[in-house]
Amino acid sequence: MLKPKQMSRLLIAASRDQMAPVITELYRHNLFHIEEFVDQGQEGYEGFKIGTPLPGASEKSTDLIKIRAITNAIAVRGDDIDSVKTCPRAELKSKIERELPILERDVEDLTVRRSKLDTRLKEYEQKIVEITPFVSVPADLDLYHGYTRFTAFAGYVPREVVLSVPSEMYFSKGKEKNFLVVIAQNEQRGEVERTLQEAGFQSVSIPEESGSPQSRIDYYSGQVAALTKEIAEINEKLESVRNKHAEFLAACEEFLKSEVDQTEAPLRFATTKQTFVAEGWVPSDMVDEVSKSLVQATGGKIYVTVLPTDYEHDSVPVEYNNPDFAKPAQMLMDVYSRPKYTEVDPTLMLAIVFPIFFGLILGDVGYGLLLLVMCFGLRKIMKGEDGQMFLKVLRNASISSIIFGLLFSECLGFELPWHPIIFSRHLLIGGGSEGGAGPAIPALMIMSIWIGILHITLGRALGMYNHAKQDHGEHRMKAVMANFGWLAVMWGILVAIWSNVAMPYMFDLTKLPVVAAGFNAGTFAGGALIVIGVLCIARDSVLEVIELPTIISHVLSYARLVAVGLSSVAIAMVVNYMAIGMFIKPQLANLTIVGVFIIFVGVMIFLLGHTLNLALGILGGGLHSIRLHYVEFFTKFYKGGGKKYIPFGMKRKFTED
Amino acid sequence: MPVEVAVAATDLATIQASQMGMKAIGAGLAVGLTGVGTGVAEMGIGAAAVGAIAENKDFFGLGLLFTVIPETIVIFGLVVGLLLLF
Repeated sequence: MLKPKQMSRLLIAASRDQMAPVITELYRHNLFHIEEFVDQGQEGYEGFKIGTPLPGASEKSTDLIKIRAITNAIAVRGDDIDSVKTCPRAELKSKIERELPILERDVEDLTVRRSKLDTRLKEYEQKIVEITPFVSVPADLDLYHGYTRFTAFAGYVPREVVLSVPSEMYFSKGKEKNFLVVIAQNEQRGEVERTLQEAGFQSVSIPEESGSPQSRIDYYSGQVAALTKEIAEINEKLESVRNKHAEFLAACEEFLKSEVDQTEAPLRFATTKQTFVAEGWVPSDMVDEVSKSLVQATGGKIYVTVLPTDYEHDSVPVEYNNPDFAKPAQMLMDVYSRPKYTEVDPTLMLAIVFPIFFGLILGDVGYGLLLLVMCFGLRKIMKGEDGQMFLKVLRNASISSIIFGLLFSECLGFELPWHPIIFSRHLLIGGGSEGGAGPAIPALMIMSIWIGILHITLGRALGMYNHAKQDHGEHRMKAVMANFGWLAVMWGILVAIWSNVAMPYMFDLTKLPVVAAGFNAGTFAGGALIVIGVLCIARDSVLEVIELPTIISHVLSYARLVAVGLSSVAIAMVVNYMAIGMFIKPQLANLTIVGVFIIFVGVMIFLLGHTLNLALGILGGGLHSIRLHYVEFFTKFYKGGGKKYIPFGMKRKFTED
Repeated sequence: MPVEVAVAATDLATIQASQMGMKAIGAGLAVGLTGVGTGVAEMGIGAAAVGAIAENKDFFGLGLLFTVIPETIVIFGLVVGLLLLF
């Protein structure tokens, strides 16, 4: 919690003939993050070379490419499939040898036929486009070609053209463009071309067809329909292949990928003629297990040891270490940046505070329930791991907004049967008859400011801790003091304000004894804090002092918790007032035929308005809550940029040993 | 005399109503103008961020962060508007 998983640097050395069992064992554990060996003459690695793949690597890669070609053609993705039962690897291996070539041939046949048909379909469609303009000319298509002494022109002109040379011409006036065909003697060709050019003639190609244009179009339309039907049949066949073999293909892909990964692993090791050395990271609590099983697999012919870690210079891979309920929030952390190994991992705080912020902004039982239903509905559709995490984040957020909705007494903008328990956010819209007491704006604002003050104080405190933990010599103390300085300035400003202005829900220091010049002791205490703070900041970096106004803007930024929330309440209430107050209620009092239609309009406004507001609410609530973390909270202490822990191995879904 | 009282009362009502109207105009200006400001500020950042994300997807988080920084301006406008009205 609050710290990434502790990692140990493991060094494995053995003779080359032990390479295969070692790789199999490491892959099975799915724990060893390989530190790739780069042949650049590191200290202690003189004379080592990058290893060569195990035998059989290229055949397996070819097989994997084949499988991927098939899965692409019929759109199978392992993520989207629920595995019903896992298949033993030995059985799968024989099945691959037996069935894969047949399946491959079938799918390839179908896709090749489909692409041929597609090409022909495009060709025919093009022909239809070419012939269409000639429909307006009462002449067969044979009449346009086959001359030795005449040239035919066809194309669009903006207006009628008069030719000075003897020629046959047909002009058809269209809605947007006028179509013109001209047949003239070859000798007058230049003259005709020049005249047409001047008239803004756009030439179209003359189709090499015979018969009347309309009959040709009918013929090609028939062909297109037949081809479309044939393509649909092929698609159906592919679909049936997909339904029948999807799981087998996903299992094959998984199996072959694991095989390829293993056979190519030596490319990441350092080797000599007789031995190999692999370095990597393993979670500290698993070191014993991994080394024991390695020794067992090789019959003791191996050397495994834990190397000392230099946290400043080694780039230790980072794996989150969070309680289950906080795991979905890791996705939000990864969007920003993975924590560094040496710093505090704020995932847990994010997991707790993010839903609270979301609830404060959306805070509506109706929207919360709709969102919850949506989450459960989408669970069937979004199968990938990231998608599931995202839905869990959304689920927590919607539960929180239901709770806050109960506290705010809001359901789709209406008041629930009780008055708001914490603060009222009901606006006085539509004459105030439904609005109750009106919103408690000042109280809400001050609440949000308090949240801001506490959140930022927590951020700065974590900043002090992070700097204190990191070893960068003389700078460490200065950095810690600078963080303290920022805190001192913020609280100094607060104390100074409290000493001069009495505000609800805040400390009142105005009663303190006056010391000098009409200012009381609190003002001076606050001033002193500010001065000390500025000095601390300036000692670390003078330029930072110009950032001082951000103290105020960052704290005030938390006012968005109220402002964005109120705007969504306002939209909900306006929608309700329009739909019910203006459309439905007056008509219900005196029902007529027209009235029923107007009521229908009212219902539509209600549905559309609330859908829009829900979408805005998710976007606003989510984006602003996460932004408060990313911009206001994380900038105080969080660096990020840690390396992701990618263990050598895979999570098996379709296969088993 | 009663006529003058009545006139004074009407005047007072008119003045109060117009004060309310002025407040509403002020609130509208606060939200509207800050909205324009935010839009102008986000225009450049957003375009650059989308470009960067197209090059490298890992930039998404940071890009989003940079893009929403000017959002604070319109929030301040909204806060001022709310404080004016209530």
